Amino acid sequence: MLKNIQEWVLLLVIVGVSGLIGNWIGYDIFPLSALPGMAILIGICLAGFILKEIIPLNFPSIAYISIIGVVVSMPWFPGSDKVVEWTTQVQLLALTTPILAYAGIAIGRSWSDFVKLGWRTLIVASLVMIGTFLGSAVIAEIILRFQGII
Amino acid sequence: MQDGNAAMGLWKDWRLHAIVLAIVIVTELIGTFRIKVGPGVVLLLPMLYALGIGIILYFTPAVKERQSVNAEPIIVLGVSLLLAKIGVIIGPSLPEVIAAGPALLLQELGHLVTILIALPVAIWLGMKREAIGMTHSIGREPNVGLIMDKYGMGSPEGRGVMAMYIFGTVFGAVFLGLLSGLLATITPLSPLSFALASGVGSGSMMAAASGSLIAAFPDLETQIVALSGASNLLSLSSGLWVSIFIALPLTEKLYGWMTRKKEGY
Repeated sequence: MLKNIQEWVLLLVIVGVSGLIGNWIGYDIFPLSALPGMAILIGICLAGFILKEIIPLNFPSIAYISIIGVVVSMPWFPGSDKVVEWTTQVQLLALTTPILAYAGIAIGRSWSDFVKLGWRTLIVASLVMIGTFLGSAVIAEIILRFQGII
Repeated sequence: MQDGNAAMGLWKDWRLHAIVLAIVIVTELIGTFRIKVGPGVVLLLPMLYALGIGIILYFTPAVKERQSVNAEPIIVLGVSLLLAKIGVIIGPSLPEVIAAGPALLLQELGHLVTILIALPVAIWLGMKREAIGMTHSIGREPNVGLIMDKYGMGSPEGRGVMAMYIFGTVFGAVFLGLLSGLLATITPLSPLSFALASGVGSGSMMAAASGSLIAAFPDLETQIVALSGASNLLSLSSGLWVSIFIALPLTEKLYGWMTRKKEGY
């Protein structure tokens, strides 16, 4: 467990550093200003991983992480204003760039499978994506309009 | 992180982390490009270049098999950071997310629309039962598990869902990223509806789809992130049940009905 925590912290810090540098280059936020926010995000992840280990439920760590993130930033939570203020300095899009860089390197191995897919598969798979995305958007639009939210 | 023990020592792969850092620096320096397509806009974001460069580097000596294997569990950690960030955006706007609750829940059923569109085309193109595996959902891990469990690894349905899985893995984020910016700018639908639609149940696809929306509508950033994040959580937790009880039986029925009709002619 302790060894796991050490591994998680080191990896989160490494990904976090890439994120902070992307945050600096892409969004002009100096790494030192975004550091407290990144530390909070890493802390939330760590808390989620630890909860997953402690609580004997088959509940994924990402669910704990999401819930903790929501709770500590709700207005009644002590210090939530600082949590929100600091994490605002970490741009969402700056976090996604290193993730997709790792993903690309991992995906390289699936590439040979990908090019073996026939043209029919490509057409149908594209339609599945478009159908899911547009289908959800249309239903959401109808309900949001009905509720008067948009 | 179920296999936390198998993933020890990944932080020592400095070659991998240095390559990722280099990719981040290069792609963020390039920045975002907006390409006008008729009345709409396609957004090229640093994360999409990062994915592409990562895939290309895999085929160069810079990345060895080892880096590619090590990169996979790190994606989960990266997505965790992303979900923590989305969490702290949802927190302060929770009342708005709850207000959008009915839309949030019902748009999950939008995933079923894809069956009505993609299945007929698949059958028309001559696919057999592969079509069931391919079109019952967008084929992420839980769906692959479901199909393998029900039909078996080597079944036509299993081949279909694997094809969808591979397509989604390699191309899903890029595809949805380009699509969402374009659709949100050319259709009359609200960016918030597309934000809800972005939560398809895959972290990277959601990031790409909602990322394009944020870049296209920066004023709505908080609402877009909160709604897409909440929707993705809901898709992750309910997606399998929707597949088991609605999507897969519906696909089976529709397939049976359509192929019978075809044979009748």
